[in-house]
Amino acid sequence: MSVQTEGTDTAGEPAVRKARVPASPRGDDRTFGAPSRRRAAAPYLLLLPALLATLVLLGWPLLKNGLLSFQNLNPRQLIQHLTEWNGVDNYQEVLSAGEFWRVVERSVIFTAVNVVLIMVLGTLIGLLLARLGKRMRLLLLFGLVLAWAMPIIAATTVYKWLFAQRFGVVNWVLDKLGWHSMADHNWLQTQFSTFAVVTLLLVWQSIPFVAINLYAATTTIPRELYEAASLDGAGAWKNFTSVTLPFLRPFLYATTFLEVIWIFKAFPQIFAMNEGGPDHLTETLPIYAYVEGVGNQHFGLGAAISFLTIVVLLVITSYYLRMVLKQEEDEL
Amino acid sequence: MKRSLFGRIWPNATAVVLFVGFAFPVYWMFATAFKPTGDIISDDPVWFPTDATLEHFKTAVDADHFWTLVLNSVTVTVLSVVFSLVIALFAAFALTRMRFKGRRGLIVTFMLAQMAPWEVLIIAMYMIVRDNDMLDSLVPLTAFYTMMVLPLTILTLRGYIAAVPKELEESAMVDGCTRPQAFVKVIFPLLAPGLMATSLFGFITAWNEFPLVLILNKSAEKQTLPLWLSQFQTAFGDDWGATMAASSLFALPILILFIFLQRKAVSGLTDGAVKG
Amino acid sequence: MKRKLAAAIVIAGMMVSVSACGGDDGDEGDAGQTLTVWAMDGSTPDQWVKDVSAAFEKKTGAKVKFETQKWDGIQQKITTALSESTPPDVIEVGNTQTPAYAATGGLAELDDLKKEIGADWTPSVSQSSVYDGKQYAAPWYFTSRVVIYNKKVWAQAGIKDVPKTRDEFFKDLEAIDKKTDAEPIYLPGQNWYFFDGLTIGQGADLVKKQGDKYVSNLGDPKVSKAMEVYKKYASYSKAPRDKDEATPQQAEVFAKGKTGAFIGMGWEAATAINANKAIEKDLGYFPIPGETADKPESVFLGGSNLAVAAGSKKQDLAKEFLKIALSDQYEGQLAKLNGVIPNKKALESNLKGNVIAEAIAPGAAVGGTTPLIPEWGAVENNPNPIKSYMTSVLNGKSPADAAKQVEDEINKRLAQQN
Repeated sequence: MSVQTEGTDTAGEPAVRKARVPASPRGDDRTFGAPSRRRAAAPYLLLLPALLATLVLLGWPLLKNGLLSFQNLNPRQLIQHLTEWNGVDNYQEVLSAGEFWRVVERSVIFTAVNVVLIMVLGTLIGLLLARLGKRMRLLLLFGLVLAWAMPIIAATTVYKWLFAQRFGVVNWVLDKLGWHSMADHNWLQTQFSTFAVVTLLLVWQSIPFVAINLYAATTTIPRELYEAASLDGAGAWKNFTSVTLPFLRPFLYATTFLEVIWIFKAFPQIFAMNEGGPDHLTETLPIYAYVEGVGNQHFGLGAAISFLTIVVLLVITSYYLRMVLKQEEDEL
Repeated sequence: MKRSLFGRIWPNATAVVLFVGFAFPVYWMFATAFKPTGDIISDDPVWFPTDATLEHFKTAVDADHFWTLVLNSVTVTVLSVVFSLVIALFAAFALTRMRFKGRRGLIVTFMLAQMAPWEVLIIAMYMIVRDNDMLDSLVPLTAFYTMMVLPLTILTLRGYIAAVPKELEESAMVDGCTRPQAFVKVIFPLLAPGLMATSLFGFITAWNEFPLVLILNKSAEKQTLPLWLSQFQTAFGDDWGATMAASSLFALPILILFIFLQRKAVSGLTDGAVKG
Repeated sequence: MKRKLAAAIVIAGMMVSVSACGGDDGDEGDAGQTLTVWAMDGSTPDQWVKDVSAAFEKKTGAKVKFETQKWDGIQQKITTALSESTPPDVIEVGNTQTPAYAATGGLAELDDLKKEIGADWTPSVSQSSVYDGKQYAAPWYFTSRVVIYNKKVWAQAGIKDVPKTRDEFFKDLEAIDKKTDAEPIYLPGQNWYFFDGLTIGQGADLVKKQGDKYVSNLGDPKVSKAMEVYKKYASYSKAPRDKDEATPQQAEVFAKGKTGAFIGMGWEAATAINANKAIEKDLGYFPIPGETADKPESVFLGGSNLAVAAGSKKQDLAKEFLKIALSDQYEGQLAKLNGVIPNKKALESNLKGNVIAEAIAPGAAVGGTTPLIPEWGAVENNPNPIKSYMTSVLNGKSPADAAKQVEDEINKRLAQQN
């Protein structure tokens, strides 16, 4: 939830601020920053706790994980606290098996499908919210907030229950609608339908974030922009493409970035649904790392997969990160 | 605006359908929780719990150490949210309002930190905690949860701080405030809704976390509610009634918090934007 | 702080009780100590816990703390726990998983204990705790599956006697299918321990030795034959093919009264009654019928051993606990209360009058386990490739093809170095 705000503010913010506070030139440098040593140290001091936390609580596990990935670490070594270096064996094993690349491919497709669905449907619902009357808007907002607030574990459990083969309400409804072969349908039997249920769950969970924040962002679009556009004789579609979309673009970028991360990392939803099954066919990278490492107690191998997972995620998001780097250059 | 009848009806009709779609799973969770077992495992779904029973809630609450787990969950969640808010507030302020060397790099660092896939680092984290003799404690748990929510908190607060006009701060300083004073007196009050909104994310993350506590804290008195939630689905079968009752109880605090804070968050956001 | 306080209270309490009982042989060195025992969900009846704790405290002056564990994810939990500086002292370990744990060096060697109290342990059940010629755990209790059936449904189908052979059983299921609207049997596709029993019945091995390492033997025609039998059973069921007997809980499905029978553990009868009181009077039990009337179907002898963590700092106390828990008195009590097969023949008299246990006993006599090699533990980790194999066959693949499909996975797991 908070994040949405992030989207609107951080990303949307330069535009807003530039539009609204045109005259805050570099002059503030002088106002604020009479250079003294204390001044110069201030930002670093303020950032110190955050950096320290990141270093210790994230950097250390990452480093440890890196070290483990070069070790032969199974229950025996773990229990007896043995350190057996085995060079790049783990990486060799992972990368030479076709499995890994299949999982990478699957993760990328899975992420792409989900993020596209979430962004498109979320945007449409956000725009619908803007168009609804007050009462209907409240009703829909309420439904969205309910879905949004459901704790992930609870939501996943409920979905398993909705789609249970026996006594699951979804099968019952499909049966009553005349699709009798669905009466005892097993949703978790094939890769495709397991992914379908997981996707439905993820989309259901993620749309509220996009829709509500997009709606909030549209309320900040200055009326004058539309008025100007309609003076030019723009229709609804033109309005959308020439005013709404450009205004929301930074927000959409930021949100897409977050959704990509969240979907790619989605763990409990997939794991609790079917533990990556049937036949490992719904394992995405995080699940694969967990099943091979923790599940099969092949911890060194798991660490290597974890490391590769992070690399893949970096590659996927590099475009956005580069963009941010560039954008930050222009700012301030 | 002239709109056809159809043009007026379809948005509302869509809204109703969407409302049902989004709310139904939540409704079904509560409904199942109140139904007697015979109505849950039933060939024809019982849409409304007419023979409502509290038996499943009783099963859920009667589980061993329930109240200890509640206390642990609340402690860990509240502490990690507060810590991350405080740490993030400093960091976000520096990143938004100050110019210094390495600023860009730091922003990207936090974005990268936001990407950390925690579940796959579990064993590394476990070994660190084990080798420092801190297993079965709420301290490492709180610390890691703080870190899990910190990057997003920083990035989010950055947005909120940026939305507070610089001129306000400047005029306060012209009036003789020092910069810290200006922050406390001018910026902080304006940030309140943002802080609340941001805290929600932290709440959800920490409240939900499962794999880490599972491996770090083996003694029942040091565990948290997600572990309790999972215990009704066991090798002895799925007790859907108790699972749904437990899920309902588990979700309730977040639902309430959300409905309460969400409006503030959104209104805070729009206010900020309008004033900005 | 709190812990210290608690310890102080315990010590104070102990001193009172010790002085009150004057002459008992409580070893004061152990007073104030607490032994931690991990037992699995459902293993330890309350009365047994109470009695054993009291006897233990009386003998040693120390307390026992039982911590109930869930089966889900238990292997990882035990592995990590054994690596910690204060592991649980005594751990219940599944019999098939014991060799793997013994191989990690995480379990204490118990040869002395075996000499002292294990002379008459039933060899077939004690075998699983031996690794490399040494005893690494003590056999605790065992059980196996029986057919639990609904007498009312069977009467509706006009069946008078319980079947004595597999063919008779199939004929009965046929009759139920034709004459009633009940599901003849509830058998999900992944009741893998039932399948394991069938392979034992066929004399098949799930692994074979190739050079100096073990590889999958699922392709063996004997295994295929066992799977065909399973498939025939499953053809009388509408249960999900890719689920095991726990999801949904088969006893609860059965409790609805619209199922002829299911293959389950003794305690599952209680689960059924719990879900539907009315089912109690209709419950019946019989051993899974074998190919011929003289021998029931072989079953997987599931069971548990008690092991001592190598890292425990209370080795002697832990062994003392084993001596008490496994003594004839308490081993017998456990058999009686839980209806499980005890670790020695002499104690089986405790099962008299327990209809379920009496149905179990004949099958147990021809029972077996999964391969008792340390490498086996990894094969059963989720997702269990044998379960995938079963589902594939039920979905129409030939057993040979299905075996080929999971062979790599099984071999990979068998090859995991320790």
